[in-house]
Amino acid sequence: MPVEIPVEQWPGRVIEETLGATPAEGGTRSRVVKVGGENTLPFMLTDGEMPNPPRIAIEILDQRPKDWSPLLLEAWGDVVDDPAKWAKAAEEAGADLVLLQLSLTRDGGKPTTAADAKALTRAVLQATGLPILVFGPGQVDADNELLVAVAEEAAGERIVLGICEEKNYRTIVAAALANGHLVNGRTAMDVNLAKQLNILIADMGLPLDRIIMDPTTASLGYGIEYGYSVMERLRLAALQGDKMTQLPMLVTPGFEAWRQKEAKVGEGVPASWGDWRQRAVLWETLTATNLILSGADIVVLRHPETVKRVRAFIDRMMAK
Amino acid sequence: MVTVVFRPEEKRVEVPPGTLLSDAARLAGVDILMPCGGQGRCGRCAVVVESGSVRRRSTQRLTPDDIAAGYALACQTLVESDVVVFVPPQERIERRIKETKRAAKIELPFPYDRHDQPLRKFAVTLEPPSLADQTDDWSRLQREMARRYGIRNLQASLPVLRKLPRALREGDWTVTAVVELDAWDRPEGPPRLIDVLPGEHLESLWAVAIDIGTTSNVVWLVDLMRGQVIAQAADYNGQIARGEDVISRIIYASKGNGLQELQELVMGTLNRLIAQVAAEQNIRPDEIYKATVAGNTTMIHLFAGIPPESIRLMPFIPVVNQVPTFPAREIGLGINPEGTVDCLPGIASYVGADITAGVLSSGLCDSDELTLFIDVGTNGEMVLGDCSWLISCACSAGPAFEGAGVVHGMRATAGAIEEVWINPETYEATYKVIGDERPRGICGSGLISLLAEMFITGVVDKSGNINLDLPTKRVRRGEHGPEYVVAWADETATGRDIVITAVDIDNLMRAKAAIYAGFSVLARSVGLTLQDVQRVLIGGAFGQYINVEKAIQIGMLPDMPYDRFHFLGNTSVRGAYYALVSREMRRRVTEVGRMMTYLELSADNTFFDEFNAALFLPHTDLSQFPSVAALVGEG
Ligand code: FES
Repeated sequence: MPVEIPVEQWPGRVIEETLGATPAEGGTRSRVVKVGGENTLPFMLTDGEMPNPPRIAIEILDQRPKDWSPLLLEAWGDVVDDPAKWAKAAEEAGADLVLLQLSLTRDGGKPTTAADAKALTRAVLQATGLPILVFGPGQVDADNELLVAVAEEAAGERIVLGICEEKNYRTIVAAALANGHLVNGRTAMDVNLAKQLNILIADMGLPLDRIIMDPTTASLGYGIEYGYSVMERLRLAALQGDKMTQLPMLVTPGFEAWRQKEAKVGEGVPASWGDWRQRAVLWETLTATNLILSGADIVVLRHPETVKRVRAFIDRMMAK
Repeated sequence: MVTVVFRPEEKRVEVPPGTLLSDAARLAGVDILMPCGGQGRCGRCAVVVESGSVRRRSTQRLTPDDIAAGYALACQTLVESDVVVFVPPQERIERRIKETKRAAKIELPFPYDRHDQPLRKFAVTLEPPSLADQTDDWSRLQREMARRYGIRNLQASLPVLRKLPRALREGDWTVTAVVELDAWDRPEGPPRLIDVLPGEHLESLWAVAIDIGTTSNVVWLVDLMRGQVIAQAADYNGQIARGEDVISRIIYASKGNGLQELQELVMGTLNRLIAQVAAEQNIRPDEIYKATVAGNTTMIHLFAGIPPESIRLMPFIPVVNQVPTFPAREIGLGINPEGTVDCLPGIASYVGADITAGVLSSGLCDSDELTLFIDVGTNGEMVLGDCSWLISCACSAGPAFEGAGVVHGMRATAGAIEEVWINPETYEATYKVIGDERPRGICGSGLISLLAEMFITGVVDKSGNINLDLPTKRVRRGEHGPEYVVAWADETATGRDIVITAVDIDNLMRAKAAIYAGFSVLARSVGLTLQDVQRVLIGGAFGQYINVEKAIQIGMLPDMPYDRFHFLGNTSVRGAYYALVSREMRRRVTEVGRMMTYLELSADNTFFDEFNAALFLPHTDLSQFPSVAALVGEG
């Protein structure tokens, strides 16, 4: 008996955005990466189209991480001492994008300067041909100072500057406007707050196709349901035609999962939790795949093994 | 070219047709004040076109009567032929603007019957005692009251009896008896002698209507001979220093001497206000013989010295919804100690007598039009319904709109900035002060107007963040973070800058968001939308008016035609006044209580969502505010 599969058509579509610029477009990337553009819920390819699969960004730091799990340091080896090498390794590990996370201080406790930020950005851009994202340390004054320098150094490369927040977005958005970049706007797990920040940023004149929204999330076991539901509601609003929510979403499951003891540590936890190595990678993988199912367009990951597994998952879901 | 003549200065100028009157004035050297920078928003540049033809681009600020009288906004009016224009003095414009929005006078919507009152005055002349008639003073008075007025079984307390001999003899056996024939909870009497005065004093009979708000307290002095409000006074509740909202007051009351302290604090405020209205009329407070009191349930508990703890704890029940009447001496209220205190009935812990009083006096339940009533105060109570049903909720707006919890906030009294305009090019502020004095602070309507102007001109973004990059000294980083200077020190009465800070703006944003979210949830709970509402009645401790347009611009009130809004002033004290002077109103206020359903917002998970959505200027969903969208060019 033939079964008719009901088709759900949505009036709205997520904006397609282009990260990175090739020499022809005024940058130096070997290729650009497009995100978003879907007019259906994730992988519902019978309902609509998903022109771009969810993308994987690998997070690298500007120096050897101090509080990362030993498993991550072991997986990356010595490259963590050199952001350029780490960026190259990330590309080799299968990333679509490289996210450079700047720290508040350099070795020896000196504050990171604008010159440091420029040099780091330049080094990463030279080491990889992938489009990049650069996030500030997360402190208002430092973010503003460093990201302006980064934006100038990377002018024309269409990088993503982060993180804009409701209380601090003007300077970063102005820097993106002046140098042809995109911004990432983060809000605290709430549909309305996410939409509000998009409006604030757009009000400054940055076109919507240069804004990515980061609705914040939580790891498996630590409130992921809440983040999932917020992202799902944002995506449903977008598909229903609410313009100010029709932006690709970026989330950071790597950061979230590796904060939790299930992933981070192997000692002092119940034996019944099983093998640490397996559990840790699974924790990050499941956090990421769940968020992809709720509508994430970019997931930021940390462990190379997770990258492989999430990639395999995306490939299978995208197969017709 | 056409000629424009400006009177009374008789200055003239030649301009091409199509020139703005304001430009012509500038060329002619005539000064016209333009607070909003010529955007047609403030209505301050109004002039009278005496002859000739003009085209009014916008008349937003003018009434049809104004236009018929020839008024035109100089900044919005193009000359088409030779014209003669009269530039009115500024005061005249202010009066015109104010009069269109003046709050209704305090009038009773029903006829007053001074004979149908429980509290009455009777003049009696007694037969002086003699050796032939040795009846005692008290029996003599009782006998005469029964014979002359049919008042039997008159009772008196000891303190009144003590006054009797002197009054009788000083008045040469003519006295005025102040009698309470019955009371709310003693409809059958017996009649009670409250005071006895030597001689005949029937000119007036004083009582007070009182509203005890969490933030503001109000006393109206009423003459029961005429049924009219003769004097009014208001001040902040002395309890504020012990907590801004009812919950913190309840907690304070539960500790040590807290209850007694809070009771004394509110009594201190009320007694000062009573003394103030009495002094205005040249009377003594003990010539006031009755008080009718409205207030939220917690305030009534604290006023009566009843422990309020249970209001805060599951399952949230008050000790008493309708307090029995009691004499003023029992709580130290500064009227005649024998005078009766009536507290209006509340409905529940969070819908108190202030709301039943508000519903009563706003006329909400007299009409079949779907009506939204809001008491803009600390608790933000609101009621939706018509003559056949009522549903209410309390959205906890905080005291910001009463001018409290804001650095330079104040009540709507002389010296308060009540309206502000900001020039969109220079970011300069122009303001209007109650009583035309130097400003001392900003009242609720001023804060609404200020926030709206800051939003429209881009001094703040839609989240209310002050833009420190603007090219003006008025935005700056102050002691409490970013701030905007509304008035410079050399303009103010205090000699200090009057500013609004980022924290103030946060408080205002929360207050307005709570109110709008309350509206949304209330309407949705009965399957309606805000657009279905036919009338919006606004009560609250604002000054003479609240600028509806500005309140819509910040997203505090729903975007609908202005004529659906009616500003009623303090509806709670008004309800107390109605109940004070009418038996029918006392019956109705009890009925209101019985009709009303209460929606507990803390148990409603859509409230939080609606609140966050409303925490934006004007709202996250701009489609709910089409007139504001058009104004900011996003329509
Ligand atoms: S309306 Fe003309 S200046 Fe404001």
